[in-house]
Amino acid sequence: MINEVRNTVLAIINKNNYGYISPADFNLYAEQAQLDIFEDYFYNYNSQVNKENSRQSGTGLADIKKGLEEVLDSFSVFGSLTQISSNTYNLPSDYYLVQDLIYGNKIIERVSNNKIRLLLNSNLTSPTKGFPAYTLSGATSTELGNTVTIHPSTINGANDVSVQYIRYPLTPKWTFQSLLGGEPIFDQNQSDYQDFELPLSDSINIVQKILQYAGLSIREGDVYTYAQNEQVEQQNEEN
Amino acid sequence: MSYITAYQYYENGGNAPENENWGSYQYVSLPDIVNNFMLMYQGNHELINNLNRYQVLFYAKRGIQELNYDAFKEIKILQLDVSSNLRFILPQDYVNWVRLSHYKNGVLFPMTENFQTNYSGAYLQDNSANILFDEDGQILKPQNSKLDLDRITSQTKTLYLNTDNQFDGELGYFYDGLWYFDYAIGARYGLNTETANRNKVFKIDNKGGVINFNSDMSGESCILEYVSDGMETTYDSATSSQVVNDDKITVNKLFEDYIYAFIRYSILNNRLGVQEYVVRRAQKDKSSLLRNAKIRLSNIHPGKLLMTMRGQDKIIK
Repeated sequence: MINEVRNTVLAIINKNNYGYISPADFNLYAEQAQLDIFEDYFYNYNSQVNKENSRQSGTGLADIKKGLEEVLDSFSVFGSLTQISSNTYNLPSDYYLVQDLIYGNKIIERVSNNKIRLLLNSNLTSPTKGFPAYTLSGATSTELGNTVTIHPSTINGANDVSVQYIRYPLTPKWTFQSLLGGEPIFDQNQSDYQDFELPLSDSINIVQKILQYAGLSIREGDVYTYAQNEQVEQQNEEN
Repeated sequence: MSYITAYQYYENGGNAPENENWGSYQYVSLPDIVNNFMLMYQGNHELINNLNRYQVLFYAKRGIQELNYDAFKEIKILQLDVSSNLRFILPQDYVNWVRLSHYKNGVLFPMTENFQTNYSGAYLQDNSANILFDEDGQILKPQNSKLDLDRITSQTKTLYLNTDNQFDGELGYFYDGLWYFDYAIGARYGLNTETANRNKVFKIDNKGGVINFNSDMSGESCILEYVSDGMETTYDSATSSQVVNDDKITVNKLFEDYIYAFIRYSILNNRLGVQEYVVRRAQKDKSSLLRNAKIRLSNIHPGKLLMTMRGQDKIIK
């Protein structure tokens, strides 16, 4: 899909070589565009849930939420957490959103740091192996935290904790090997080649996003305005 | 999730204890209740959403505790011998007593609660009845109050009931298996029905965590029927402590729907912005389900009623 997107972008923007985008620039814009659209999925999903609750959404082919769920689920990964020490574990570096931490067949519940002490002191709801809990932790004065602490602390085996999480989409990369007439020829057999991970139906959105970035880059207001208007129009249709 | 096999049910798969799973089908466990509630009653399209599991766990346990106090009719029974200090330490999971019996010669004698206290705390006092303090300003206390000491050393009077004896209905001292009486002086004004009982009496010291008896219970066997709150505990070797075992906390299936309704109501009742009619609906739902479950559990059978009613025309001679 990435080559089709690049060709479309260049066809729109590259008039008399004025709007040419180098592969490196294109890859930067592509990454940003994909991340932007990926994040929009969560907001769209929430919007669809609200619509369903107000009976403004249908079933069957009209079930928009189902399609959004399928895309998001395609980014859902299951894996083991690596232990740092005792009941502290590292989260995967590519996680966007933790869905569940799992101990055996028990779901470990996320508890915010401002509640965990109250919970630990609760006689009825203190975390147990049957109902474990975790907090996000590991932040220092110079670094952000990327670890979890499991309660009760008796959950401390090296392979005790698994995770189901939504990962970030891989960074797209349009690759080439040779130049033909000064023009790079697309080559998807390069080892660092990476296509977009969003579905084909998102190619229009991706083109529009990249056009916005590129239009801004070459200070071409028409391109930016066109792309933005297209996007607003599409959002209105979806809503 | 699958159910256990017949072999696991009857013989616990060959493991000890053999009776581990007997009758287990009557019950649904706490983890199942919480899991089912999170799955079926909370979510984007349910009445309740954005809920922490520990909230459900809390209300589920509270509901189970409430049911254990009266509705379940699941009585725990413990037999212990009363030592010479005339007390019975309350069980670890004791919440309230149902009945206390004196077990002797293969017969259970129901005991009555003594409405007159038979125990007390005490402060040390000097000859002028001034309270004595230690150097830290704390009140000095004796090991036993005079009341306790007299009871333990058999120096308090107990009502003697024996229609075949001339001392029937008199207060006397029971010591070492024998009764001793004062000389009868003055008038007698009949039986004090508040304390009149041929069987032995007791008084519960809830804060002290003991049942106190009179001296005639020394060395006797006592059976306590009591209710707990259903929060079953087991020994955790990892922490060397007794911890709540969530898997062992169960609810009779007749009350399963009630527990869901109880959790739902408790959450809705405490949430901001929930319409009052929704809260009222949940409350009515909860109440009616409790009533239904109690009726079911009471096992009122037409056949039993018929047996009882047969006696209505019996001629009393």
